[in-house]
Amino acid sequence: MKVEISRRRFLQGSVALSVISGATLSTTNIMASSKEKPKTMLMKKVPTICEMCVNKCAAIATVKNGIVTKLDPNPHFPKSRNMLCARGVAGIHALYDPDRLKYPLIRTGQRGDGKYKRATWDEAYEYIKEKMVKILDEEKDNRSCIGYCAGEGLAEHTYKTFMADKFGSSNFLNHATICLQTAVSGYTLTIGGYGQADLENAKYVIMAGANRAEAILTPDTMDLFKRTRGRGAKLVVVDPRYTNTAMHADTFVGIKPGTDLAFVLALTYVAIIDQVYNRNYVAKNFVDFDKYKKHIIDSEYTPEWAEKITGVPADTICKIAHDFMAAAPQAIYYQGRRSTWAKNDFQLRRAMALFTALGGGIDVKGGIVFGHRLPLGEHTTTAPMYANAKPRIEKEAAAIIGATGSWVAWRNMVAEGKTPYPIRGMFVYKQNPMLSVPDTAKTKRMFEKMDLVVVIDTMPSDTAMLADVILPECTYLEREDPVQSYASIEPAIIIREKVIEPMYETKPVNDIMRGLAEKLSKPLWEITKKYDEDVQEELETTPEAEFYEDGGFNLAEPFMHSQEETNKHMVVSKHGEEAWKLLREKGVYYPNMLTYFQKINNNTYECYPKDKKYYSVLKLEETFDATAFLHDTCVNPADIADLKRSFNTPNKKVECYLGSMVAKGVDPMPKWRDEEHVKVPAGKFKFISGRHAQFTQNSTQNNIMLLELMRENYAWINDKEAEKLNIKFGDLIEVTSSVGKIRIKAYPTAKIVTETLFFVHGFGAKSEALTFAHRNGASDNEIIEGTIEPVFGCSVMHDTLVSVRKV
Amino acid sequence: MNYAMALDYQNCINCKACEVACKEENGVQLGADKQRIWIGVVEGTIFGKPFANLYPSQCNHCLDAPCVSVCPTNASHFADGGIVKVDPHKCILCKGCMEACPYDARFVDDTMVAVDKCTFCDHRIGEEGTTACQATCPTKVRMFGDLDDENSDLVKLLKTKRFFFQKEYTNTLPKLFYILPDDEAYAKQSVSHNTIIHTWAEIKPLYDVARTRRSKEWKR
Repeated sequence: MKVEISRRRFLQGSVALSVISGATLSTTNIMASSKEKPKTMLMKKVPTICEMCVNKCAAIATVKNGIVTKLDPNPHFPKSRNMLCARGVAGIHALYDPDRLKYPLIRTGQRGDGKYKRATWDEAYEYIKEKMVKILDEEKDNRSCIGYCAGEGLAEHTYKTFMADKFGSSNFLNHATICLQTAVSGYTLTIGGYGQADLENAKYVIMAGANRAEAILTPDTMDLFKRTRGRGAKLVVVDPRYTNTAMHADTFVGIKPGTDLAFVLALTYVAIIDQVYNRNYVAKNFVDFDKYKKHIIDSEYTPEWAEKITGVPADTICKIAHDFMAAAPQAIYYQGRRSTWAKNDFQLRRAMALFTALGGGIDVKGGIVFGHRLPLGEHTTTAPMYANAKPRIEKEAAAIIGATGSWVAWRNMVAEGKTPYPIRGMFVYKQNPMLSVPDTAKTKRMFEKMDLVVVIDTMPSDTAMLADVILPECTYLEREDPVQSYASIEPAIIIREKVIEPMYETKPVNDIMRGLAEKLSKPLWEITKKYDEDVQEELETTPEAEFYEDGGFNLAEPFMHSQEETNKHMVVSKHGEEAWKLLREKGVYYPNMLTYFQKINNNTYECYPKDKKYYSVLKLEETFDATAFLHDTCVNPADIADLKRSFNTPNKKVECYLGSMVAKGVDPMPKWRDEEHVKVPAGKFKFISGRHAQFTQNSTQNNIMLLELMRENYAWINDKEAEKLNIKFGDLIEVTSSVGKIRIKAYPTAKIVTETLFFVHGFGAKSEALTFAHRNGASDNEIIEGTIEPVFGCSVMHDTLVSVRKV
Repeated sequence: MNYAMALDYQNCINCKACEVACKEENGVQLGADKQRIWIGVVEGTIFGKPFANLYPSQCNHCLDAPCVSVCPTNASHFADGGIVKVDPHKCILCKGCMEACPYDARFVDDTMVAVDKCTFCDHRIGEEGTTACQATCPTKVRMFGDLDDENSDLVKLLKTKRFFFQKEYTNTLPKLFYILPDDEAYAKQSVSHNTIIHTWAEIKPLYDVARTRRSKEWKR
């Protein structure tokens, strides 16, 4: 999406927008029930898109007399493969959660004590306005003095449009740097895209650290576990834990946390020395392979060397390298979607991409594929330019700080009072940094320093309890969200339709932004006029009313149309009226859907015929178009676009040597640096975290249906080590790191390697407004240290040393 | 109609989508001991190496269901298609059926003050063709269908695979068909050495006889 920039200087890093144009009102959105029920019961089925995690599975909601009674899978969306997981089905309890935020709230007590009064929307906006006017007046219209963050979601860009493009703050943070920024960037800079692992056709998959059975990702989870155990896909799982994924593996390799890079480098060494890699593919598609080959051999990344670091036997490494290359190019070193583990994470992802590429498994069926994206219409809005808005504060924290920033570096600077200009406030949308960002105590210190904290959410999270104003968003079942196009082997457009009207006084984010913008526009314009010399200069020649509108200072302008109108325009302008009708009826659209879509049996549907799938696309592309490829929505392609273009040369070469990185102090080729590796001293443990299939991070923590499946988290500890410490199942243990201390019940097990402690993320909420979640187990981020890796400033999640004591 | 289910249990990832879908579809009472459907986990170590097997399960809707025979009030009964159900109005909570069931597939629903159990989602199979657990499953473990219909997806599957039953020795003629994994190593790991392996051709006559015998009791 595009933004027109009205003035000379533009400081914001990213300009993605979801905007608007005139279009007539949408049609009804109800899939008529196949069986007309008696008049006494009003039943309808509405297609929607799940928001219980980030996968966007297509669902069909059954509504009886205005109550959502069931969520079922919608088979039309190829990505979600006709399924809805435990969290998806339990979405009803996100909607009917008794603890939901129901009305706008304004803080009455001390920050953090949870005392709020119910307010009207106007009172809440008024409160925000008064504080904003005061802050911006004192900061002389430096818009960046208000930071903002957002969790992933279809409406993330609506919020960003307001905060970045209209309000004008450059201090944006999202989950990328506490999530998979290093992985997406590592793959993108090496092979031109993060891609999608074609697990429907791969013959050999190395899944290291990724846990597709418990961290469900569509369609990977669905595809993989129908093909393991001698049914086409050999699966090697490399993990410090024997996970539910490992349970399905042909080979399980227990590895010491943080040593994956040594493992991959040794695999690469074997492939090169034994000449089992695809030499033809490499000769045609690699650039600087000689440098990489020499580096790998000269560095002596032998299996024996790796065994000492990783704990993986050298002959196992040799066998995996040979088996992988024998199955190549239908062989994938699975990209994974994990957070950053160790300081070398970017190099690890590069080495993984290169190893897959050595077998030729890029842009081929059964390898890593890029797929195709169906176009959507777009619009422009005018982003006003603020002369006094300063660049983001943590630009120098790492080699490349993109428009989504570095959460931990940013937080540390604010908490420690080391910012180049004051950060006076923060808007938080759909994120819960108190549980999701490492070093909770420091995050709290950051919020305590602020004059204004506004939280937009559906639940009274730990972060919401630190807000001055809480604005209640409606849940995903009560709103229409921006239409989305999914790039894939089987591309499709999906729409989240409103299933029922918003409950209580909640609103969708588009309406919240409109209300806020209408309140703020004029008062903030007065401040801009007061301090902005460019504006003052402009006003000497242009009438004020005209410049206010044309310059984009009417902040409410992108939010004036309903989401339905916007969506209709985006679809109809590219695919026509029929496509729009079909999309609203089925919740999914792709060209030829009615002829392609077939039911094979009650479990299986075919969305695209085999010969119509987009397996190999690169060869067909004359010029590189960043928007045409599959990108993970977590990372803005624009952040790496200037680097990426050079990699997508007409020759489409795989990049072994990143010369551009040298000047930034980053190793141009994956290199093991012993000094970066955190070793575990005797008596200590390395703490690792992870996911499971019943909760999505901390966002589902109060869901009673899911709590039925898992009430609290337990700390995994190797059973032999536990015995020495006299720790038995269910014993309460105290885990201490340099930044915090938690108590949790123990789960001694043979399923975890030694010197390692694990518990799942997402528990341990302290907010007393969460009746069911509060004080269940422990929060990992209370003990994870707030350190970052040097390339993108991503938070290092698996380098914290802890001590364990039975209490 | 003779409803049954095949389970390709090797696909199971223990995500518990089936359990939640069952609860939402049927309004099952919440609580740790209230399960219409569950996933059995067997885990341990072999020579120090961890392993785990998963056995998704629910009521077997046995042709010779002991829970039906034992019920003193006819609350437990066979419904259309041989589905074993409980009429809560007739249930006196003697719990004899819970004792009789070899699979522990029954529990007390305190809100209905009656025993509750899996119904094969008989209210939705007509319209949707599937049970809630099958429809929602990410890795498609289950295949629900009609054993009477030679062309049903279920019978087509059973004809191509070998399968076994849980606790066959109790002689209840259960109708959850566990598909034997083709992979010999995994079959060895997940199937007890004294479990009997069947084929459709071999088991069909036995099940046909029992169906004829018991289907007189099936309510329309």
